[in-house]
Amino acid sequence: MAKNIVGIDLGTTFSALALLNSIGKPEIIPNADGERLTPSAIFFDEENPDIIRVGIEAVNSRHLNAERSARWIKRHMGQADYHKTIDGKDWTAVELSGLILKKLKQDCAAERGEIRDAVISVPAHFDEVRRKATMDAGAAIGLNVIGIVNEPVAAALYYATTREVSGKVLVYDLGGGTFDVTIMNVAGHQMDIICSQGDHALGGIDFDREILEILERMYKDKLKAKLISSDEDRAKYEDESEDIKKTLSRRRVAKKMLYGSAGSMRVEITREMFEQAISSLVARTDILVEVALEEAGLKPCEIDTVLLVGGSTRIPTIRKRLEKMFGSRPETAVNVDECVALGAALHAGLTVLRENPDAVPTGIASGLKDIRLVDVCNHSYGTICAPINKETGRRVVENRIILKKNTPLPCEASQMFYTVSQGQAAVEVTITQGEDSAPEYVNTIATHKFELPPNRAAECPIKVTYSYDVNQRMHCLFEDVESDRVLEVDLRADQNGNLSEGKSKQKSGSLKAFKVE
Amino acid sequence: MGNLLVRISIAVPMFAAVVCLGLIVCSKPAGSNSSSWLLQLGRCSKLQGLMGRLRRRGWTSSRGFAALVSKCKFACSASCCMLWALAKRVKCRTFPACFNLRRLIVRSKFSALIHRLKFPALSNRSDLSDLIDRLRVSGLIDRIKPLFFRRINSNTSIETSVQPDLTILNCRVRLTGKEMHGPASAVFEVEICGSIYTPDDEHETTLEVTIADVTDAMPGPSSVQAKVKQWQMPDSTIFRYDADLGKPSGRATTLSNWTTVARLRVDWLLFPRKGKRDLKFRTSISSRQTGQELARAECTYAYENADPGYVDLEEDRSRTKTLAVALAFAVSASDNKLFNCEVELIKNWSRNNVHLSQASGRARRKLEKALNKSVAFFRHGNRLNTYQICKEIVGIARIADRHGILDLCLHVAQAKGSVAPEELAILAELAAWLEVDIDAFRNKMERILPINMHQIKDAETVLGVTSDMSKDTARHHLNKEYSKWNARVTNSDPQIQAQADQMLSLIAEARHQYVG
Repeated sequence: MAKNIVGIDLGTTFSALALLNSIGKPEIIPNADGERLTPSAIFFDEENPDIIRVGIEAVNSRHLNAERSARWIKRHMGQADYHKTIDGKDWTAVELSGLILKKLKQDCAAERGEIRDAVISVPAHFDEVRRKATMDAGAAIGLNVIGIVNEPVAAALYYATTREVSGKVLVYDLGGGTFDVTIMNVAGHQMDIICSQGDHALGGIDFDREILEILERMYKDKLKAKLISSDEDRAKYEDESEDIKKTLSRRRVAKKMLYGSAGSMRVEITREMFEQAISSLVARTDILVEVALEEAGLKPCEIDTVLLVGGSTRIPTIRKRLEKMFGSRPETAVNVDECVALGAALHAGLTVLRENPDAVPTGIASGLKDIRLVDVCNHSYGTICAPINKETGRRVVENRIILKKNTPLPCEASQMFYTVSQGQAAVEVTITQGEDSAPEYVNTIATHKFELPPNRAAECPIKVTYSYDVNQRMHCLFEDVESDRVLEVDLRADQNGNLSEGKSKQKSGSLKAFKVE
Repeated sequence: MGNLLVRISIAVPMFAAVVCLGLIVCSKPAGSNSSSWLLQLGRCSKLQGLMGRLRRRGWTSSRGFAALVSKCKFACSASCCMLWALAKRVKCRTFPACFNLRRLIVRSKFSALIHRLKFPALSNRSDLSDLIDRLRVSGLIDRIKPLFFRRINSNTSIETSVQPDLTILNCRVRLTGKEMHGPASAVFEVEICGSIYTPDDEHETTLEVTIADVTDAMPGPSSVQAKVKQWQMPDSTIFRYDADLGKPSGRATTLSNWTTVARLRVDWLLFPRKGKRDLKFRTSISSRQTGQELARAECTYAYENADPGYVDLEEDRSRTKTLAVALAFAVSASDNKLFNCEVELIKNWSRNNVHLSQASGRARRKLEKALNKSVAFFRHGNRLNTYQICKEIVGIARIADRHGILDLCLHVAQAKGSVAPEELAILAELAAWLEVDIDAFRNKMERILPINMHQIKDAETVLGVTSDMSKDTARHHLNKEYSKWNARVTNSDPQIQAQADQMLSLIAEARHQYVG
């Protein structure tokens, strides 16, 4: 029996864990400090190397020794070349994320008992590499990651199960480090995702950086000196900038004292200055909203509800712009910081109910029974081929999309390809993710050699079938039509050719030995 | 010998004229004066045109002329005397074939003569009918034998009016299917008649048809090539059609009627040049067992080739490469600086791509000299009319070659690591003038000249947004670009990630400028 079913919002700046209670309602589980949100920050204690501090203590310690701290790790998920070297050990983004998850898991277990099955949320636009890296982070601390849910979907799931909602809902999720916009059709507890768009490097920390630039500029203009001269200074003023941003969401002016190498100075940052500084970033969110609307074939006036998710949606200019664009005030009824974790817990319950209904306690099962969610493919998936260009008559290497983005799940699509040369003994099959036809602009997520029978003519058909299930497992089948030979690639299971090969592979439970506080 | 050739060149068109004049003169009304008929004839522009064509069609060959004459073995007619008299007037008796000509004139029937001449214009029945109509209108034709008119106006081919020599193998070619289904479905029908002799009864026979281009303008017979591998000779692309003819019924087989033995689709063939081509069809029948040739026949067909020939294409390719080098230099010099790295790139491209007919040191030195001259030309501030060059390229080069030229120009602009606004401007012009699709051009730009290489980041050049676009159009265009680059921002290649980041910033700025 699955006792504790949890959902985790692994955020860029804050993380949260929610658990389904006995009647299937999600609840945020506070951390050991009693806080409902845990800062996604890590500090490697220099005095006691066996202890790794996660949360508010890590944020504060960062001002003292920035070298031994790590923040905003989510921005680096999936980057093979990202490492944080502490005491001779190279920590990857997956491992660092694993430490944050370990803190959440540990604090929850202390209050509610051991947890094993979890769903972790990711931005809707995260690619397969980043999704897999997130799952690896969970696996590294011994979590059974039963699914990955898109953050806006999780937020909408929670919203739709707690409010009376119907019609077209646009979820505007502007968090600490990422931005997502998702459009869905909601009818009671039935939710059909239509499309998603997002920006992996657009969020609250980018607004903080704009404020930090203003501070540096003001200090330099007045005292002709640099405000920041060390990593610790930078860490301190990054946090000061965040404070100013939060203040400006409540007041028109924020005041601070700056202490630099040339002395101290008092600064006043107005809301107008801040809005001017972030205007190009906000414009990027506007563009993505418009792109999502175009993808969905909708006009702004056809959106019934705009749901705000993420701490950065508290910025007044964001709300004003959305109100102007959609003609109505955005919905702020749910807690913008917690709704993703709460929705992820619901998603975890639905997943367990679908895959192993007997393991779900009756109370939880009855609480979830009416919820129906139809998700979509978050990206396009294709393969590399070499067709003859109709215009030039020459062969060109291109990425041919097989599964299109925003196709409702589960889905399956096939295309026929043909061998190029006589006696071709093998085909190099490549599974790609991306929207471009140019191979250099898409990501290769798996490559295999598909052996063919010898001595055959050119133009032999190879059927390629991609399928994507509701648990976001992708299955690829390459079939030589004449000989019936097949090559199967599963992009979730740890078999040859899946994503876990190479750079993002993480051994299950590998972080168990590290002590997190 | 030279004197003889001069005489031939005079005598042959004269002979053609004589033949036609004979037609007129022999058909003059009783009591009329011959010279007045000739004057009327002189006004017949059609006849003059036909005479001109005859001259162009190769009747300047004495061998061909003699063969023609010797083949005319027809009964005497009164009109022939008049022809002979005319022939005497034009003093063609000095011609080597005079004796045969005399026999011809004495014995020929005019209708047969026309056929034997293989008069190009007369093979086109409508031209012939037009000529006859003109003659009829002028009252000159009344005395022509009715049989002749029946043959001309009937639906049967002119060739069928002549009984070929059935003791030997004969062949002829007809072009069919063109009008009905367009040029792509035009077919040369090769027909044979006459006799085939085999050494014994058991011989299986095969047919082979080859075609040579024997147009006068060519220095010698040129091969006709096959576009289809099936009809190419081993180790070459020269056309050769072969088919199984089966076993003849006896040692001597005679086909008394014209029989189609091959249907050669015109779109299988690649001729040397565009325009009027004289194609010599050689039909050969051989023993499959021994390979021995049993019979052979040849005929010539005048064909109007609408497509560029392989010689034309080769010349065009060569010219295109020369023009490509000129455009590359123009791009390089557009910012008034000819960098050495750009020059070296162009020179290397030229060395690798410009065809040197003889890979001799001399030819290479010639190329180097030409390249150095070009460098000096541009270094002195001279400029080319790039529009005219592009126009010429569009006329002769395939789209794939034009893409190649644009690639070269983009790489020249890339060579020094940054690209000036003037270079971007000329590249955009070249793309438009070379009629390369704008999206394809921008895709090339993104790959070869990423945004970080641009000295000035101009949204109009990079993003394709223009100030004359409406706000909605600009918004839609920029949203599309944003969506494209946003998908690339998570690319595994850090350089592409950086490029995507810069593009997203540029798009956001452009949105502020063009959409508000």
